[in-house]
Amino acid sequence: MLLALVSATTAAAGDVVHEVNPASGLSTWRVEGQDFSVEFIQLLPDFVRAVFASRGLPQDVINAISSYCTFGTIVRNKATAPLSYNVADWRYVTADGVAHVGKTKAEWVEEWRERGIAFRWTLLPEAQTFQVGDWGQGFTTVKLPPGTRFDLHYAWSQRGDTITHIIKDMRCAPEVIEN
Amino acid sequence: MRLKLLKISGLLMAFLALQGGLLAAQDSNPELSYTLTPMEPPVAAPGFTLDDMDGKSHSLSDYRGKWVLINFWATWCPPCRKEMPSLEQLYQTFHGRSFRVLAVNQWENADLVFSYLGDLDVFPSFPILFDPDSKVSEAYGVRGLPTSFIIDPQGRIAYRAVGGREFDHPEVVRLIDGLLPR
Repeated sequence: MLLALVSATTAAAGDVVHEVNPASGLSTWRVEGQDFSVEFIQLLPDFVRAVFASRGLPQDVINAISSYCTFGTIVRNKATAPLSYNVADWRYVTADGVAHVGKTKAEWVEEWRERGIAFRWTLLPEAQTFQVGDWGQGFTTVKLPPGTRFDLHYAWSQRGDTITHIIKDMRCAPEVIEN
Repeated sequence: MRLKLLKISGLLMAFLALQGGLLAAQDSNPELSYTLTPMEPPVAAPGFTLDDMDGKSHSLSDYRGKWVLINFWATWCPPCRKEMPSLEQLYQTFHGRSFRVLAVNQWENADLVFSYLGDLDVFPSFPILFDPDSKVSEAYGVRGLPTSFIIDPQGRIAYRAVGGREFDHPEVVRLIDGLLPR
């Protein structure tokens, strides 16, 4: 197994597992044992630049998105009924108590559309209703400096109820991995 | 500049390794599901005409009278890569029985896709179509990749699956088998 287990905590809504990839030095946070499972993988700014450069996007667009704290994000419906999420409801709460709102796919796509760019992939759809077995993956972004620590407050809706969960002490990827 | 490119290539390789590691770590908890959601009632599938890798045009209307699985995908998408062999297996199992598969690539070109497909364990034998401006995926309301639809012989969307699927899972095979005429 490539990933080294660093810590695991149990919360009412599920088990938070924090792992560090010994090869890359990057962290992953995963929450299992709940109907809406989530996984957040740190992404280096240089990686984000490379992904969007390989899609042929203009340099200023690449610079703009790579200046954001970005996670590879996987979300799944593990329930036996539909559920919904909306990234706009999620908050990144930093140590100073400020609740930051992420920049959603819809906001990026609108910005790109104004530039005449039709590209709309790689980012996690901002809101979806997942039927049983549905899942998705993509980048989530928030305007925070590399290495910033925060608690992520994320939510989903199920059978008319909204469920909120917190992953404590997440961190944006550093600018570079120090050897 | 060359050094910068090498550095970025290294990062891409590192990320792919990370993805591989994650996939390996999740083997005990398979990330591809196998449920297909019925559309009740079925809705008309948006028509389209797209070129394949050889420049041949394919229209959805060409397939009227058959069951068609439409898979929206891209090369950068790890679950798209993971589900592709199972899609080929499903196609091989049923293509003699009025079942077709159309894999609709998003935003990429034939050179890139051909190179990518050559790197897969199984080279798909179903048509790979190109939706370079994502107009078709937009018409289908696709929010993320991969997303698949099953179109019935009347040209209606009968099932939908958001996210990667294990298309050769016995439950999927049983479902498709039950749809097709003997």
